[in-house]
Amino acid sequence: MARNLVVLDPAHGGPDLGATLGDRVFEKDVTLAFAARLRTALTAAGFTVVLTRDADPADPAPSDDRAEIANRAHATACVVLHATATGSGVHIYTSTLTPPLEDTASEDSAFIPTPWDSAQAAYVRQSRRLAANLSSALAGSSLPAIAGQAPLRPLDNLTCPAVAIELAPLQSAGTPVTDAAYQLRVAGALTGALRTWRDQALSAQGAAQ
Amino acid sequence: MIPRYQRILFWVLAAAILVMALVLLRGCEQAREKLTRQRNETPLAAPVDAPGGTVHLAMASDADGSITLVDREVALPVEASTRARTLLARLIAEYSYKNSAHPLESGPAIDDVFLLDLPLHTSTAAGSNASGQDSSAALPAATVEPHQPGGQLAVVNLHGSFADHHPSGVEPETLTIQSIVGTLYANFPRVQQVRFLVDGHPRETLNGHADLTRTYPVANPSTQTIQTAQEDR
Repeated sequence: MARNLVVLDPAHGGPDLGATLGDRVFEKDVTLAFAARLRTALTAAGFTVVLTRDADPADPAPSDDRAEIANRAHATACVVLHATATGSGVHIYTSTLTPPLEDTASEDSAFIPTPWDSAQAAYVRQSRRLAANLSSALAGSSLPAIAGQAPLRPLDNLTCPAVAIELAPLQSAGTPVTDAAYQLRVAGALTGALRTWRDQALSAQGAAQ
Repeated sequence: MIPRYQRILFWVLAAAILVMALVLLRGCEQAREKLTRQRNETPLAAPVDAPGGTVHLAMASDADGSITLVDREVALPVEASTRARTLLARLIAEYSYKNSAHPLESGPAIDDVFLLDLPLHTSTAAGSNASGQDSSAALPAATVEPHQPGGQLAVVNLHGSFADHHPSGVEPETLTIQSIVGTLYANFPRVQQVRFLVDGHPRETLNGHADLTRTYPVANPSTQTIQTAQEDR
């Protein structure tokens, strides 16, 4: 697994507009803009970032293809990006799959065939730890966060610690999801949490050796 | 003396007015019949002879992403499928009230609810997918809960207009599904799994996010709420 690699998946694109977040403002554009800001912050922190799309193609890759891109990267974290006009703050979701009794998401078991629709099961525990880290980092930046589980593609198909981040308006301050300063604050908090996540993984790897 | 052409014009205009009035009246009647039919499809008023009782509704809140069980006094039909449909119609209707914590547009939402005994067989039409296979066989193994003897699968057929106009987003769509599944869990002990159709057909997502192709195991909504609160800390 590439400890320094993060995959960002800006959801929707092309004819799939996603949610309508305002007058001629679509979710596909907000996720792409937020992905660009997050990529900049992560690159500055020393990460290598892979985006499943960095433009608005007329014929976007389907969910399974995006999951395949992420799985081939063997990333330390996979982050699916969404945006909504409902709720407040940042919503963090992990897969609804039940984790196996033993944690099998190790390097040795990486080549054991697993069903496509439950590929994430072996990584659910790591994904929940990552979600907890992200939630704490957002709270530390005074950003309201809700963590939970959601039946969302392609989360279940990812073979990496995977979370879905959904940006919602800051209802208390009346800040829309399109606000650049708001997106930068969230990107900064997520980058800090991912840096901690990477350092924990590296120290665990060092201890194992 | 009124010229002949003016008399003709007068009677032509009078006839046109009469025809337009008749068309307008017919249009009003058709609109009223359409509204009446829609009302009949979502019987918010319970039948007179239905016994009243307490039901539990799993109510969602967008503010904190929680599901909370609340009690309501509702008179419901006796037949289980009709009872489930009426109960879910009542649940969705609550979300259309002013100041709802999970606002949804008003209108017909639940077309039908089918309660099928488990295990399903390939000949069961409502539980089969388009290729004629057992729907549960096409599901990821980890998402299918082992069913207990006497368990049921609830197939909830949603109106297409409800899905199309549902607020788009991971949170609102997930909460609606959790709310429906939680309400079935709280009121129908035999229901162990829930599947969704839209206008009688499988659909990938509710409105772009929440996956509708899978079978949902029923879960205690209050347990889900506690888990979420703990993760927030």
